[in-house]
Amino acid sequence: MQNSTSEYRLEMSGISKRFGVVSVLENVNLKVKHGEIHALLGENGAGKSTLMKILSGVHQKDAGRVVLNGKEIAPKNTHDGQVLGINVVYQELSLVNDLSVAENIYLHKLGASKFWMNWKKINKDAQELIDSLGFKIDATAKVRDLSIVQKQVVEIAKAISEDTEILVLDEPTTVFDPTDTQKLFDNLFKLKERGISIIYISHHLEEIFKIADTVTVLRDGVDTGSIPVKETDTDGVIQLMIGRKLEDLYPERNSTLGGAPIFEVKNLSAKDTLVHDVSFAVRPGEVLGIAGLGGSGRTETAKLIFGADRKKSGQIFLNGEEIATRSPSEAVDHNIGLVSENRKEEGVFLPLSIQKNISVTDFSAISGKFGFINAENESKNVNNLIEKLNIKTPSAEVPVKNLSGGNQQKVALAKWLSIDSKVILIDEPTRGVDVGAKVEIYSLINEVAQNGVGVIVISSDMPEIMGIADRILVMHEGTIYGELSKEEFTEENILRFAIGEPLKK
Amino acid sequence: MASSSKEQLSSPGGILPFLIKYNTVFIFVLLVVFSAFISDVFFTSVNLSNLLKQVSGIGIISIGMLIVILTGGIDLSVGSMIALLAVAFALLVNIFALPLAILMTIAIGFSLGSVSGYLVAYQKMAPFIATLALMTVARGLAFIYSKGSPITFDTYGGLYMSNFANNSFLGIPNIAIVFFIIVILAMIMLRYNVFGRVIIAIGSNEEASRLSGLKVNKYKFLVYAISGALAAIAAIIVASRTNLGSPNMGMAWELDAIAAVVIGGASLSGGRGTAINTLMGVLILGLISNILNLLNVPSYPQQVVKGAIIIFAVLLQRFENK
Repeated sequence: MQNSTSEYRLEMSGISKRFGVVSVLENVNLKVKHGEIHALLGENGAGKSTLMKILSGVHQKDAGRVVLNGKEIAPKNTHDGQVLGINVVYQELSLVNDLSVAENIYLHKLGASKFWMNWKKINKDAQELIDSLGFKIDATAKVRDLSIVQKQVVEIAKAISEDTEILVLDEPTTVFDPTDTQKLFDNLFKLKERGISIIYISHHLEEIFKIADTVTVLRDGVDTGSIPVKETDTDGVIQLMIGRKLEDLYPERNSTLGGAPIFEVKNLSAKDTLVHDVSFAVRPGEVLGIAGLGGSGRTETAKLIFGADRKKSGQIFLNGEEIATRSPSEAVDHNIGLVSENRKEEGVFLPLSIQKNISVTDFSAISGKFGFINAENESKNVNNLIEKLNIKTPSAEVPVKNLSGGNQQKVALAKWLSIDSKVILIDEPTRGVDVGAKVEIYSLINEVAQNGVGVIVISSDMPEIMGIADRILVMHEGTIYGELSKEEFTEENILRFAIGEPLKK
Repeated sequence: MASSSKEQLSSPGGILPFLIKYNTVFIFVLLVVFSAFISDVFFTSVNLSNLLKQVSGIGIISIGMLIVILTGGIDLSVGSMIALLAVAFALLVNIFALPLAILMTIAIGFSLGSVSGYLVAYQKMAPFIATLALMTVARGLAFIYSKGSPITFDTYGGLYMSNFANNSFLGIPNIAIVFFIIVILAMIMLRYNVFGRVIIAIGSNEEASRLSGLKVNKYKFLVYAISGALAAIAAIIVASRTNLGSPNMGMAWELDAIAAVVIGGASLSGGRGTAINTLMGVLILGLISNILNLLNVPSYPQQVVKGAIIIFAVLLQRFENK
């Protein structure tokens, strides 16, 4: 590789990065040529975004070298990155809603050049830039008034408005329809001809095969190598993306499934999210897994069932009877619980004690007339759960913020076990949880299910969901694309459904 | 994990951490000792009972302010509500029997608070804006109904009330007793009742509260209504002390109430604060005015000192939060 360094515009070699004790990237290499479209692939959490954030200056690497045009670089912030010609279009849009399209595109230049702005020129340049991309957007319109698709276009226009050398696109087409996607691809080919190097992150494998020259796959923070797209196919790439061994993390499932479903959802559609026509049933004692890529609507489905998001249509049945869950409090009244994926913001009350966190779901068991809390009942109930879940703490009075991630997650679970939940939705049961606590949480889920509760587990972690679920539903673009029975569990099958492809015969 | 549980187990020793933890009480005691040294009149029963009478009105609305602030909100309307409700009480007590007039005034306070509560909880209006609007409306109505001048009590019921407001029981002014009862009720509700649990949960994490099945909107509505009802009780007391209801009453009291709550260690973002500490905050503010009055300090420098104390108290709390 060392014979022709000039062959590559960008060389990232031996990149490592840790957040606290978690190693996110380990010795990752990425080499991008002039005028190349380089696809970066990997499951959720494989480290793609972190690698790109190191490139652009959002994060700083712990080890390794980044060489751009033969010179080592170490951008300390995104401004440094932009000056070097590295522009990134992130998944989350970063436009200023109250400014115009033109102002957003030239935001980084406003105030930098002269005292007076030449609005005529700025608007004209911006309009020309957008026209050249082939989209119809008025450069003087406020960003607030644009559709999500138009915003994405502005975001892309912003990234290529200056002397871009390297353009990074993180899932740019999630909001695009096929026509818009094709327009974007045409533009990328044009940029490529101009010699710009493009790093393209996507879950859609078919896109990769349409536009990319080379593909690099990350898995658990390690790169599994780069190959020219011509020399591989979908199967080859999927092979690179998976290929981990299932460990003995998971408890033995000897589920005795009851016959009639305890919980059923029919044709559920959301008012404000992409979730539509979701139907499934859970039998008592069953652990039902829901898999899918980020943005496929898994979390939104759980929130819809739980009444946290608004429904457009559909029915929910508990023990064969139709129920309404117009708000989370109605769902809780029907003994349905939700453990949120976003523990710190939606799951626990960080400054409050373990006791107050656990008791919050149901006061009726621990309070008498006029809502006065029976301290003895409360501490008995809470201490039972602390013991049962093996929450490591000196007392129930400790604020939850002082606990480790795993123990915080157990508290988030405990509050649904303190009420007599019939159905529990668990979104990302072990995100940010160490291995020891993972095992405990898995066997807890197992135990809860064996007690006849319907458990629905959402997870991006494929080995995890295969390890604990009896059946897996795979979501794609807001609805359930396919169902896998235990015998069909493979990462490849999940991934195929998740990207909207049928199973291989 | 092991290290963090150890930190929890070993409570820090030494005098400084203790002072920081009980900073409100510490400032209070410091002020009392200081006052006693600096003025001979301070520790006389007349002065102390005056002090308590002066703080009772603001004290009662501070408790309302506390429960609103615990949910992460704010109620700017309470000062003006005092004016409107004092006028209302003066008008009502001149027409209806005393108990009825009291109940009606409290009902009006509750209803006005409900308007803020409705706007905040169900219309998702920022508490600052909703109660700012109510503040102007209430002050305006106070002037409209009083035609701009104070309304004197002129019935037996009114006289009975003003008697009550200016007398003492066992050396403690009656209105201070009303204030203390409200503090104790608030303490009990916040500490031992589901009500307190829920509003503290809402203030510490509203989204998590909603996703735990709590009826967040209902409680947010309720705290503003209660704050309104407490403003009514404060208004009755304040009006009765002077035997009249005036549209100029309660000017900027909402700011004193906020100051008292903040000096009492509550977090303006919600979830943290106690009734007993708010009581301390009220007494500290009252003490400062009292001692500066005894020293014949004019009112403008008094305001500067008040501001300095607020800054000092909040800086101390920053150590506590660390």
